[in-house]
Amino acid sequence: MSKLEIIDLHVSINEKEILKGVNLVVQSGEIHAVMGPNGTGKSTLTAAIMGHPLYEVTQGKVLLDGEDVLSMEVDERARAGLFLAVQYPSEISGVTNASFIRAAINARRPDDDKLDVRSFIKRLDEKMALLDMPEAMATRYINEGFSGGEKKRNEILQCLMIEPKFALFDEIDSGLDIDALKVVSKGINAMRGEAFGALIITHYQRILDYIEPDFVHIMIDGRIVKSGDHRLAKALEVQGYKGMAGVADTVDLVTDGEE
Amino acid sequence: MSDSTNKASFRPTSSELPAYFVDTQQRALTSYPELSLPVIERLDYSEWPLFDTRLASGEGSGGELSDATSERLVQQLAPELADQGVLVMDLFDAMVTYPDLVAAHLFSVIPPEDKVTAYHTAYLTGGVFVYVPAFVELKEAITVSLKQASREGQAFNQHVLIVAEAGSRFDYVESVETSSIDASSATIVVEVVAKAGAYVNYCSLDRLGAATTAYVKRATVVERDATVNWSLGMMSNGQVILDVDAYLNGSGASSQVTIAAVSSGSQVQVADTRIVNRGHYSKGAILQYGVILDEAVLTFNGTGLIEQQAKYADAQQESRLLMLSDQARGDANPILLIEEFEVTAGHAASVAQPDEEQLYYLMSRGIPRAEAEYLVTRGFLGPVLQQIRAPKTRALFEQAIDTKLASFVR
Repeated sequence: MSKLEIIDLHVSINEKEILKGVNLVVQSGEIHAVMGPNGTGKSTLTAAIMGHPLYEVTQGKVLLDGEDVLSMEVDERARAGLFLAVQYPSEISGVTNASFIRAAINARRPDDDKLDVRSFIKRLDEKMALLDMPEAMATRYINEGFSGGEKKRNEILQCLMIEPKFALFDEIDSGLDIDALKVVSKGINAMRGEAFGALIITHYQRILDYIEPDFVHIMIDGRIVKSGDHRLAKALEVQGYKGMAGVADTVDLVTDGEE
Repeated sequence: MSDSTNKASFRPTSSELPAYFVDTQQRALTSYPELSLPVIERLDYSEWPLFDTRLASGEGSGGELSDATSERLVQQLAPELADQGVLVMDLFDAMVTYPDLVAAHLFSVIPPEDKVTAYHTAYLTGGVFVYVPAFVELKEAITVSLKQASREGQAFNQHVLIVAEAGSRFDYVESVETSSIDASSATIVVEVVAKAGAYVNYCSLDRLGAATTAYVKRATVVERDATVNWSLGMMSNGQVILDVDAYLNGSGASSQVTIAAVSSGSQVQVADTRIVNRGHYSKGAILQYGVILDEAVLTFNGTGLIEQQAKYADAQQESRLLMLSDQARGDANPILLIEEFEVTAGHAASVAQPDEEQLYYLMSRGIPRAEAEYLVTRGFLGPVLQQIRAPKTRALFEQAIDTKLASFVR
């Protein structure tokens, strides 16, 4: 059992405060959804946890099983058990997807216990089949020339292969058609279990039809203003974020800033 | 072609060599001290210790031929190739055995007219002659290895002459390396004569030692509808000038010069590539990709010259430099000289550091920074590696790149 704790987290970009004190605890075995309108800081939350250099944490803590995540380098955070699936992953020419994923897995293993090629390929084939990905995508360069949907699948593929303790999915559903959404959801559901926790960032309730969350949080203007179970997402679908606004003391529907 | 190799053993004496060669060598010996160095843009190498005159036999004297400082491993030819008239042999032997063939081509691409080539000729220590007769196509590459084993101050001057007769097609792979650690100079001069319709894929991997100061000159004359493509790996550890010239003399002649370079430590490397379009519809392309580590310097000069009368010629070039340290210095210097209308030409150049967003992405998967930089760097050199068709040669290049990047990964 693992625990990811976010305590009073304040984050700025270019000296503009985006997160204004976020508190959240995710235990393994749990799936949390964070919902909210554009520009409220949902993506900022995941990027700050992972350690993107543009995001400055000005206050608060992030703990993974009591360990201070914020003092770790990005790669240490990943090896400690965090994974972030992003909306717009980088394209890297000249490095194949397969060699990248293998390097990522082996970075977690001691020098005398690297994953051998055969077992790696066997596992990769299984996971790619689960995500309806053609074999050729393994030998293509990282995300180069991938469609939006292929990039999203590729993020899920990496997550399936790496098996993190906690995965953060940043709008993994955006821009997906219904078939792709089902495939991506299938991938995430396949990871569900005692040893895995997730935080799903989304605008829409739609993905939650396929991945039922244990907890739903509404984020507005850099704070979590309401938390509940999966029924909260349904209520949101009916009432909209404006309807939820009444629940918070400090509601301010900011729609500028972050995309 | 078999993998077995022959060490050059027999060496004709000066008196057996043809008179034209002995004369040229004597003239070079007298003239080289007064001749000027070839101009390499953005580099002053007047102080480089390039002109060692000590030969293995003892005190150096021009005209004395000795090859004890080097080892040349020339592939033994399969009988069917020998039957077709293909020659891969010691250059001095060839001068004696095939005097007309060598005389017609030697110095035709690179005459010994500047200080470097004149010195090189005066103190020549060895060489290789490659001859592929008209319309002979080779399935497997001809491989030649030039190995420097110089003692301190000993010259290593190797001359390679490649003649591709009309319509011949072949791959040629050359490995240049150092096995000693003593300080010395080296000049490697390669002439490629490509006659009408010939197609030559030339691949070289230079791995000269840290204590070797080298001037490497490779040049080709490309006749009508012939093609000479170069894939050149600059993986040496010392001070190196790689000077590449392609003269596209015939109509429809084409040449692509692809260079992959890694500079590390405190070395200075300069690639100076020039393609001269003379024929109608001639086509030249320069593709230079380099990585710079530590306090090293890497300069890419690229010149595309389209001469008058070269109608519909095309001259393209691209130079990319990736700097992996704050102390590294890189310089990309593209030059286009166009003397004719109705031509096409273009250039692109960049000097950059690794993309932080790419590094972040790789690191966010648990890959340590150094390894992420290594992956991005290998990826950066990818377009050059793709030019190398033979998997075995490509693997050799990859290995050489990894060796150069080793200090950086661990």
